[in-house]
Amino acid sequence: MSPLLELHNLHVSYGGIQALQSINLAVSAGEVVTLIGANGAGKTTTLRAISRLVQARTGSITYNGRDITRARPDEVVRLGIAQSPEGRRMLARQSVLDNLRLGAYTRRDRAGIEADVAQQFKRFPRLAERRTQLAGTLSGGEQQMLAIARALMSRPRLLLLDEPSLGLAPLVAREIFAIIDELRAAGVTILLVEQNAGLALQHATRGYVLEAGQLTIEGPAQALLNDERVRRAYLG
Amino acid sequence: MNLFLQQILNGLAIGSLYAIFALGYTLVFSILRVINFTHGALFALGAYATYLLTGSAVNPSGVLASLFSAFFGKPALPLALPFLVSLVLGACVAGLAGMLVERIAFKPLRDRGADPLLALVSSLGVSIVLVNLMQYLVGTEIYPFPDTVLGNLPRAINFGVPGKPVPVRTVQIVMFVVSMILVVLLTYFINATKTGKALRAVAEDTTTAYLLGINTDRLILLTFFLSGFLGGVAGTLVGLSVGINGPYFGIAYGLKGLAVIVLGGLGDIPGAVVGGFALGLAEAFVPAHYVAYKDAVAFALLFIVLLTRPQGLLGRAAVQKV
Repeated sequence: MSPLLELHNLHVSYGGIQALQSINLAVSAGEVVTLIGANGAGKTTTLRAISRLVQARTGSITYNGRDITRARPDEVVRLGIAQSPEGRRMLARQSVLDNLRLGAYTRRDRAGIEADVAQQFKRFPRLAERRTQLAGTLSGGEQQMLAIARALMSRPRLLLLDEPSLGLAPLVAREIFAIIDELRAAGVTILLVEQNAGLALQHATRGYVLEAGQLTIEGPAQALLNDERVRRAYLG
Repeated sequence: MNLFLQQILNGLAIGSLYAIFALGYTLVFSILRVINFTHGALFALGAYATYLLTGSAVNPSGVLASLFSAFFGKPALPLALPFLVSLVLGACVAGLAGMLVERIAFKPLRDRGADPLLALVSSLGVSIVLVNLMQYLVGTEIYPFPDTVLGNLPRAINFGVPGKPVPVRTVQIVMFVVSMILVVLLTYFINATKTGKALRAVAEDTTTAYLLGINTDRLILLTFFLSGFLGGVAGTLVGLSVGINGPYFGIAYGLKGLAVIVLGGLGDIPGAVVGGFALGLAEAFVPAHYVAYKDAVAFALLFIVLLTRPQGLLGRAAVQKV
């Protein structure tokens, strides 16, 4: 079976500076794949390339058997890839409810959308309590929950999560990862970018290590947790 | 006292007009963070388009007159649409021209990742082309709308009591009513419809809008249509009130519109509305024999407000983004 997402020999550069070099990465349906690495290694750039926010210089991105290397960002969402971006990127001046509904912007089934809003509120009761509040007034943890819930509103087959634990208290970060486990159990395919390598590998099925724009190590999450190089560099 | 009331009513009428004109700037500015300098030209274009659609005649100094004469046997379009229909269609012409402006002056630069300031210059260039094109087509003479354009409506309506008349020109009332209807419709559209909320999302954070699957290019195009439409309505209403004073007459209003949005605090609907009314009322109280200094009042007011409230009347103090 071919993977759901496949990056083949992907190069990305910003104004002459190589950000990603010959990235070969695959995510199969049902997997939770994590991409770990230091700050500036190119983890966010990888996700931005998949969401088509940055151009690939060479190489290809294939999703569900379809070449999306030159697709528009909104087409990618329509095809079933949603991203919860780094820094959460709330629409701070719109309500929690409107943020969720805009997550379903690509959908037309009004009843289905409202049912999914209710489902997200069940999954994240704290968002339900704050449904009419402006998203900018939420705490960091709540904003992260909203970012994930909003991404799920487009009913993605592939969810890209960028640094979901960044800036959160350890307890809140664990809450977020419990939700990632839930989503995995529900069959959502996830590509997870994390600085907290230990936490990410505990919750993922497979992992890649990105160093200075190149993938250096890959393998089952459990194997990476025990890999001497990974332990030394990322698990402290 | 009657004069005072009359001035207030006049100020409200022109203020509402300034508001919708300035809203055209605001829409584009809130999304692209750049002033669209063609707005004054679209204002004039909308006025001329409406004028032509009512079947009024063109002056022989423009090329359009001979074209019309050759095809229709008279220097006018062979139709005589009611004023309100012409107004809407004329504004649509301005709106479509606005979309063209986006594709010519804004999108190519945006796609190259150019500084927004450059689009300001390219829009200024397109504006000059537009104005010259209009001059070529219709000449520079003043075009008053025919008296019959509002049908059987009386010239003025009395807002006073018998014996103490407060007459207000019907044109001013049309101006106020049409403008306020547009403000209400636009507010509803932006705040309560899915597309309006998506537009706000693009304005707040384009990257987020992309990630939500919003086709931002299409919404930017829509924004330029709405902006041009508002400009076209404003131009037509001013033309109805004082005549279409040549293709350049939009430029002066263009500057005034800038004063309005800065006055109100850049970037949202209430700001433009408050700024518009503030300017309209301030101008209305310029004594009759100083009327030549009306424009000076606008910019003096702007100066004073900026000295005391640099963020504008309704503007928020700049919030540090994380």
